[in-house]
Amino acid sequence: MIEVRFHGRGGQGAVTGVRVLATALYFEGKFTQAIPMYGTERRGAPVVSFLRVGDRRINERDLVHEPDMVVVLDPLLGRTVPVTEGLKEGGLVLINHPRSGREAGLGGNFKVSTVDATDIALETLGRPITNTAILGAFAKVTGMVSLGSLEKAVLKQWPGRIGEMNVRAVRRAYKEATEPVNVSDREGVKVRPPGLFERDVSSWRVFRPEIDEEKCVGCRRCWIFCPELAISMEGEKARINYKHCKGCGICAEECPVGAISFTQEKILEGRE
Amino acid sequence: MSHWEVMVGNKAVAYAAKLARVQYIPAFPITPQTTIVQYLADMIANGDLDAEYVTVEGELTAQASALGASMAGVRAFTATSGPGLLYMHHPMHAVSGARLPIVMAVIHRSVKGMQPDHMDMMAQRDTSWLMMECENSQELLDTGVMAFKIAEDERVRLPAIFSGDGYILSYTAEPVEIPGQEEVDAFLPPYRSQVPMLPELAKECREYAIAQWGVGEDPQLRWRRQQEAMDAAKTVISEVNEEFEERFGRGYGNGLVEEYGCEGAEAVIVAMGTIASTARTAIDNLHGRGKKVGLVKLKTFKPFPAEEFRRIGGEVGAIGVIDRNISCGSGGIVFGEVRSSLYEMNGRPRTLEFYAGLCGKEVRVSDIERIAEKTMRAASGERVTPLVEWV
Repeated sequence: MIEVRFHGRGGQGAVTGVRVLATALYFEGKFTQAIPMYGTERRGAPVVSFLRVGDRRINERDLVHEPDMVVVLDPLLGRTVPVTEGLKEGGLVLINHPRSGREAGLGGNFKVSTVDATDIALETLGRPITNTAILGAFAKVTGMVSLGSLEKAVLKQWPGRIGEMNVRAVRRAYKEATEPVNVSDREGVKVRPPGLFERDVSSWRVFRPEIDEEKCVGCRRCWIFCPELAISMEGEKARINYKHCKGCGICAEECPVGAISFTQEKILEGRE
Repeated sequence: MSHWEVMVGNKAVAYAAKLARVQYIPAFPITPQTTIVQYLADMIANGDLDAEYVTVEGELTAQASALGASMAGVRAFTATSGPGLLYMHHPMHAVSGARLPIVMAVIHRSVKGMQPDHMDMMAQRDTSWLMMECENSQELLDTGVMAFKIAEDERVRLPAIFSGDGYILSYTAEPVEIPGQEEVDAFLPPYRSQVPMLPELAKECREYAIAQWGVGEDPQLRWRRQQEAMDAAKTVISEVNEEFEERFGRGYGNGLVEEYGCEGAEAVIVAMGTIASTARTAIDNLHGRGKKVGLVKLKTFKPFPAEEFRRIGGEVGAIGVIDRNISCGSGGIVFGEVRSSLYEMNGRPRTLEFYAGLCGKEVRVSDIERIAEKTMRAASGERVTPLVEWV
């Protein structure tokens, strides 16, 4: 039996992705179990789900504590969540990261493979829903499931146009996933779980808003509509507190003079 | 023709209701049950199921409205969880009292939080409903179909709960075999009410009330009839389970208990639901180490299979009971039932009590191995303490 743990953020489709993968592996003649961990999830908050794959009915009903493999759907999640905890020695990590396995901020007695799933998802789906891209990479690096079975499972979950867009994401990721590399000589970025009252959600952002002070007329619409209270008024100009901004884009949508631009965050290896 | 699909437990429950051709579904949403009635609503909207779906204003009404439908001769189904089940308690007595074979899925949720334990169902212990617990999604589907046949049998005519642990089953996806509709139709005949309701049946209605409820004669009679029906249900459950196995190739022990690795066992552990599933792995591991310990899965909690436990009690030195419930002031409810079944035996085995999985606390394979090993030690005559343990 092979056990895999998936880390993602609410909205990236970690739960649905594991279910689709379980279906694809079932098409390969395997018995599977896709276990989501439900709590008080919301868009952007860390979520976990598990996958078990075996040759006969799986009886274990506890959670996966010592996975053979870890899949991470978000490049910065490892800053606040110990994603490699309990991973078996010599195990494999597949992470959504624009850089190579050795530059993904992970280190330890395991191998790391990367794929830029956010970029692929934005180009194929127009949204940073990274689950199907990561599944394409999963098929490539593990060889456990064929591209054909995976595509069949994706189209079963989303028949029609949406499914076809996701199939493109799967195929691109299959091509672009990097070979697993050893990182036993690397030191991972230190995991720092956020404090109870800290409310630092800066790593949740895929997009970053910027206010053009020249254009800002001080109307306070962004200040009113920001659901995170991340905008304050300094004099007659709006200012963003990036620690509290989740990058939802409501401010840019509401700004009547187009003073707020919205661009993709750059993921650098050492960004804290 | 049957087909396979990877699906969550709640969808398997919805399929059970669909295959049973339920005609009336009064439902009120509550996590972790909600998606069952959502799947059923989808099936009705897509024209796959011909049933009346009513969004009621609460669980009490869901049950009361199913009562009316069932009395009028319509196959009724509802589903609920935790506090929703508690809110249903009052009409549940009325349903069993009226001898209506309503079938209800209970997706366990703790009454003190969100995660699963069996306290919601155990709080309905004395409502005279049949109670059948499931360990995986396939069993949820199969038991759901069987529950209608058992409940509607003329020897039983009692409502039935079939249940599974919330989250652990409700949202976990795994491959499930869905039997063909025509095969289920051949297994489960249409439902007919036995309660005379129409005004022109006033005479029959009075006769029925006297015979079933002792109206105007013995006020205790309705309880006696329910108890007799519960006793009869043991035979019916075994028969239905056997017929299901013949037709669909899957059976669950004798329908009441399922023994796993019990041959030549010196001790057994008793578990219900998903804990029993995890326990299979623990038993496999222990057998691999040469330990003679087995698992008794309590599939049917009501009627309680006392005869089976007496037989098992004569074959082993100790029984360790895992309770995902507690009756504070007394102890584990299954433990109490097992012990009272054994009392009249000569040379009865030792019994050990373990509380596990309450409020959704995770029960791991290693926990169950430890429980089984302790029970083994007790069976070998060793003095083990404490006899009651919180895992």
